[in-house]
Formats: sequence, C-alpha cells, structure tokens
Amino acid sequence: MELGTLEREIHVEATPEIVFEVVSRPEHIREWWSDDASVDPTPGAFGEVVWGDRVKVAALVVVDVDPPRRFSFRWTAPDGEAPVPGNSLLVTFDLEPSAGGTRLRLTESGFRETGWEAAVLEEAFRDHERGWDLFLPRLSSYAPSVVGQR
Amino acid sequence: MTTLAIDDDLWSAVGDPIRRQVLDLLLADGVGTSTTLSTRLPVTRQAVAKHLAVLDGVGLVRSTTAGREKQYRVDEAQFARAVAQLNAVGHRWDARLHRIKRLAEAIQRERD
Repeated sequence: MELGTLEREIHVEATPEIVFEVVSRPEHIREWWSDDASVDPTPGAFGEVVWGDRVKVAALVVVDVDPPRRFSFRWTAPDGEAPVPGNSLLVTFDLEPSAGGTRLRLTESGFRETGWEAAVLEEAFRDHERGWDLFLPRLSSYAPSVVGQR
Repeated sequence: MTTLAIDDDLWSAVGDPIRRQVLDLLLADGVGTSTTLSTRLPVTRQAVAKHLAVLDGVGLVRSTTAGREKQYRVDEAQFARAVAQLNAVGHRWDARLHRIKRLAEAIQRERD
C-alpha cells in the first residue's frame, strides 16, 4: 500500500516550451488552478495561489525551475510556516518531448511524511469543482488573448 | 455537517505515524493484538492499545474478544473511505491537468 505519492501523466499536443509556460507562469496558473496566482518562477521564490476574494490563500515556494523540463514547488504548509520538506506537499511537473508534443508527468508527494492532514488541506483548496461547462467557454476567449500579448 | 466532523476524526486518526504503521501491519497480517503488534513497533503494548482504541473509535478497525486480548482487524469499508478521500485529491489533479492540456494546446494552435 503506497498512499504517499500521487502520480499522473497526460499527453499534450504542444511543445514542452509552451507546456512549461502554462504550468509555471501565474497568468496561466490562474486559468487552470486558482482564481489568482502570484508565482515568480525562480528557485526559492515565495508565491501564493488565491481563491475568491482571498477567501482561501495557499502559500507556495518554488523548488526547481529547469525550462522546459521541470517545474516544482511546495505548498499546503501549516499557516505561518514556510513550506519545507516534512510539512508540505511537493508538486513536480516533468516534461518530455513525445510524438511531436509533450508527455507531462505530475507527482504530488509528501502525504505520508506530513501526516494525512496535507490531503485534507489539498481538499480544502479544491477548484470550486469547476467543470468543463464553465471552463471551455472561458478557454475559447482566453487562448487568443494570450497569444495577442506576445 | 456530521459527515465533515466524522472525516476530521478519520483523518486525524490516520495522521499519526504509529497508527498508520498499525494499519499497515493489520492490512498485511489480517489480524493482530496489542501484544503481537507491539513486538513489531517501537512502542509499548500499552501505547499500541491506546492507538488501537483511537482507530476503533473512528471505525477503522474492529475488535473481537478471543481469550484475554482483543483481536483487531481493519474495517475494509471505513478504510476504503479514507483511501477514497486521498483519491479525491487525485481526481482534482486530473481536472487541473486536463485544463493545462487544453490551455497549452490552444496556445500551440494559435502559434502554428
């Protein structure tokens, strides 16, 4: 029985460079995860993901930044504590070129070390159960504006 | 909010490393007592008995009395609930990853 690490893998029809931007830059993070995000993709940098009008705020600290191969950060530390090994979950995105696109692998580890309270915290920061109904219309108006900014 | 209160107790019951080891041993062996478990854990038989009582309190283990000592087994249904809660975290990452995929692919299409 291994409950300590969560692993997921997905194929993305986009280059690792683009996928790396999407997983690591705040303007994208606030589209796929939180309502707002401030993250400086620099190792050791502190950031946060925010839901609602700061109804829920989770601090995170960037661990690895290796574009376009790896981006990782820690989060779900207890209030007032900096996320370090042992008190938080480590989220790692590993990117590999694959079949003209990218193989994106997600691991979230630390459930065992932190006690399962971390899983409860993860639960607390759920994405408002945003489903495709809400997400897809938003995406179609969002993607062109991203490219427009470049 | 009764369900939530039960879940809090459930999570704090398994939040303790010794109690997780107790669960692991019971899952592996099928059955155990304070005495048999304490020989394989770095704590006393009395401490194991207390941990078992906590696990019993949230329904993660059930006991039957056989001879002088209670025999404990994992309650599969309640244990499955605890596992399902962690799996729920996984489902949320699935949703996040699908959004990452859609976003990245939309950007890729715009650039092609």
